[in-house]
Amino acid sequence: MVKEKLFLNDQFNQKVEKDLLAHLLPHKKVGNIFIFILLAIILVGIYAYYRQLRYGLIVTSMRDYTSWGVYISNFVFLVAISLVGSLFSSILKLSKATWSTPLTRISEIIAIAAIICASVIIIVDMGRPDRFINVLIHGRIQSPIIWDVIIITTYLTISVLLLYISLIPDLAICRDKLTDAPRWKKWFYKVFSINWHGTPEQNNILHKVSFMLSVMVIPVAFAIHTVTSWLFSTTWRPGWDSTNLGPYFVSGALMAGAAVIIGAMYFIRNALNLKDYLTDKLFDHMGKLLVLLSLVYLYFNINEYLGPAFKMVGVEGEHIIELFFGKYASMYWLVQVFGLVLPIVVLVFAWGRKPLPMLIISILVLLGAWFKRFLIVIPSLQHPYLPIQDVDESYRHYIPSWEEWAITFASFAGCLLIITFLVKLLPVIPIWETKKEEGGEPKQLEV
Amino acid sequence: MKSVIKHILIISLVATITTDNIFAQKKKTARVQVGYFKNYDKAEHLVATLIVKEKRYVPLSNGVIHFYSVSDTSRVLLSKIHTDNDGKAVFIINDDNPKIIKGPSGVFTFEVEYEGNSSVNAAKRKIAIKRGDLEVSFFQKDSTKSIEVSATEIGLNDQIIPIEGVNILLYVQGTFSLLNFGKEKTDENGIIHIDFPTDMPGDTTGVLTIVAKIDDNKTFGTIESRGEMNWGIPIEPVKEKQRGLGDTDAPLWMVYTLIILLSAVWFHYLYVIFLIVKIKLVNGSI
Amino acid sequence: MKNKAADHRRKFLKSSIYAGVSAIAGTSLIQGCNTGASNAGEKVKLLTTDGTLVEVNQSNLTKMSHQPVSPDEARKGIPGRHFVMVVDLSRCRNARKCIKACDHHHQLTPDRPFIKVLRMQDNKASSPYWMPKKCFHCDNPPCVKVCPVGATYKRSDALVLIDNKRCIGCRFCMAACPYSARVFNWGKPKPQKTDHSYSPETSVPSQIGTVEKCDFCPDMLRQDKVPHCITACPNGALYFGDQIADSVTNGSETVRLSTLLRDKAAYRYHEELGTEPNVYYLPPSDRLFPFKEAPEGQPS
Ligand code: SF4
Ligand code: SF4
Repeated sequence: MVKEKLFLNDQFNQKVEKDLLAHLLPHKKVGNIFIFILLAIILVGIYAYYRQLRYGLIVTSMRDYTSWGVYISNFVFLVAISLVGSLFSSILKLSKATWSTPLTRISEIIAIAAIICASVIIIVDMGRPDRFINVLIHGRIQSPIIWDVIIITTYLTISVLLLYISLIPDLAICRDKLTDAPRWKKWFYKVFSINWHGTPEQNNILHKVSFMLSVMVIPVAFAIHTVTSWLFSTTWRPGWDSTNLGPYFVSGALMAGAAVIIGAMYFIRNALNLKDYLTDKLFDHMGKLLVLLSLVYLYFNINEYLGPAFKMVGVEGEHIIELFFGKYASMYWLVQVFGLVLPIVVLVFAWGRKPLPMLIISILVLLGAWFKRFLIVIPSLQHPYLPIQDVDESYRHYIPSWEEWAITFASFAGCLLIITFLVKLLPVIPIWETKKEEGGEPKQLEV
Repeated sequence: MKSVIKHILIISLVATITTDNIFAQKKKTARVQVGYFKNYDKAEHLVATLIVKEKRYVPLSNGVIHFYSVSDTSRVLLSKIHTDNDGKAVFIINDDNPKIIKGPSGVFTFEVEYEGNSSVNAAKRKIAIKRGDLEVSFFQKDSTKSIEVSATEIGLNDQIIPIEGVNILLYVQGTFSLLNFGKEKTDENGIIHIDFPTDMPGDTTGVLTIVAKIDDNKTFGTIESRGEMNWGIPIEPVKEKQRGLGDTDAPLWMVYTLIILLSAVWFHYLYVIFLIVKIKLVNGSI
Repeated sequence: MKNKAADHRRKFLKSSIYAGVSAIAGTSLIQGCNTGASNAGEKVKLLTTDGTLVEVNQSNLTKMSHQPVSPDEARKGIPGRHFVMVVDLSRCRNARKCIKACDHHHQLTPDRPFIKVLRMQDNKASSPYWMPKKCFHCDNPPCVKVCPVGATYKRSDALVLIDNKRCIGCRFCMAACPYSARVFNWGKPKPQKTDHSYSPETSVPSQIGTVEKCDFCPDMLRQDKVPHCITACPNGALYFGDQIADSVTNGSETVRLSTLLRDKAAYRYHEELGTEPNVYYLPPSDRLFPFKEAPEGQPS
């Protein structure tokens, strides 16, 4: 009986290894075309940035008053996305939601990609990127920007550590099994699997480290998005001047993160043929999770707007009217209805939690999340305490210029490129954990 | 015939206007103003201000002003001085300057003249002054602080005569200007008494500068006298280095919090890296 | 001998302003001099700002041309001062002379002035009024608190200045300033004339990608002169002075700050924000001019 189980385990594990390593071998053309398109988008973005460096931020549509634009709202969006890493490798893991195991790797990859692009975008937003060194020389730790710089570095580091720690056994598998991979890849697997042989001692250390990191990542991740929200809530702008902003941002980020995972699941499952691992059941779980996170976000949304809308104090009231009925009303209601309410409604039904509807919903959620950040950043700036007068008419509006769009899309493309690269380099579903969990006992005990 | 005359009239009118215009463009009207000043250190000087009419009057710099001492019979050149950026030229009156002529009953008459140039007209002006003096004394009795100012003039034979009925203004020296706190006419002894306000801020030790002035008087020009007294309310010295959200240096609690938080987190990172290295090293037991 | 004297006088006057270094330590500005009449030698008589006459050696004179203080020095305030401005709203008729003077002195283009004259109306029942607005040089300045590099800073004399050689262009200060006092060099600033090295006290030359705002003309304050806008106002609506000395002047009259603020019921914009502005406003009652709408063509 025992023998049989071991045999089954073995068979299963071999299949797992085969399936999950498949995408690391030389790939189809489709992937190359995808990369090519991404590179093209990035090149356009680089050209736009070159123009910005040459002529100054005048190439953007930002002006006095609307002094922050899509760069900042996109930055907030990317930071939000990056929060997903902590959601899977920590919150779900610690709460023993074992169904989420196949998603940890991809969520960590997305987190790293998003946080790198966020830092690039924030540099793009600077009027004098050539003086970035001043942040180190003259940094004032009283400034929320410095907090952000610190916490981004901290979060990026822990994300890389988290990804790497859970990767060591898989890299060892790659090292052992992927004998016909290209030279540099084999070298990479060999060096970075740091002589992993799954000895009990190594396993012990690994578990210890990974537990420690999953505990630590929670405060760090919450901090990164809370600090980002403080960039706004430390000012007096209507819509920013709110004590609710921290949890509001964090909950929104977790929701967007879940949506991003759903999208990624869908594409990876189809592109890499991993239907057996990214199962419909998993989609179902994710759907339920997204409903939960959406409800939390809905709650904070109501909390955020009800007070000001009830009181209608001065510019705060004007800002609310602008959002509800004014020139941002269509965007606002589209975002709230399609990006928040509709997903909740659809996903509570079982049919809504099938892969395709979920993909559509997750795209809606992501669009909503992106425009929501736009709505948080821009209308607030257009409602200062003292009226906007004595300036050119164009100062009252903000429609991003092509340079801004190009750079924004380039940041997405950059994000996807990093993800694609890592997916081609690393097993996108943790092999050792899949083996362990679905195959019963840890491998080394079988011998 | 009538119409011809009319035409001629019009033409000549136009011609006059045009020539007038050309003329006006060529030569600008200049004006020179002059004042007599006696400083608190008893230095006396004449300040001539040269202005020309552009759209309105503006100061003309680097114009040569001639200063003359005049009497009924003579006119002696004292000096030629260039105007500065504000159109001002200052001539210092030295007591022992032999060229300065004393007129009857102690009146001195000066004339300033700008000779003009190709684009600016000439201008001149006379000023007649008597040389006066102000003496300030300070008295303090209990909490009342009072100031006595006596105004005198120098008569023909150098005798000192009190000035009666002249307005004397009292000021405290401010950062940019003089802050007035009193004004009174002198009595027959040429004296005024004024109480000093009790709530005037001084410097860190309460010292302030009190200025008494005869301001732009027809006969005496501007005469100033001043004295320093510690009659002000001492102000608190500005604290130099501070720590705060709006200062260069962060508040200490913030520094400590940040150090503690960051070192806690980053220490763990280092520990993780240490453990990773350990994973590599414990290999071999297989 | 005479010729030589005249010559040296001319040279002296041409190079505008000199300061005596050793003989008149502590005094800096000279209003004029007299060399023609008595001195033909190396001695020069100078009149200092406080009215003292001094005699110094020609060799002790150094050219000053208002060289502004260094960026490091510009971080310290002028000792013992706390500058304030008072705007008498009842005297403003939107003459916009302050804007012009400011634009001229700071070499700004008219599309992004430091001073704005806003048409304000507190409620429907009350009549509109004109409000000249510049940086309030807050005592609890949000812009300074958020600046990541200390490019914008608060000085002991209450001024909030910007070091545009340090500013990284993050525009956080613009988001933080509740009074929209700051402008940004989105593109290349127009070329500006200057014959001295950069100092945050003059903010000339402007730098692309950095932020700017009203600076209370510290280069003028260093010479004990009031900012340009004060003297430019034809209606004496703007007062400037020192809170510590408790006196403000609008160029023609000098009054006690505390009396003025008390008697005219002065207020500050958005006191509730806790920014502690150093610009006070006197209510627009008993106006000198009836309110007239802005002429066509004035940007609004
Ligand atoms: S008005 Fe604005 S820019 Fe000026 S000190 Fe206050 S917060 Fe800073
Ligand atoms: S834009 Fe410049 S001055 Fe303003 S906060 Fe950023 S670095 Fe400081």
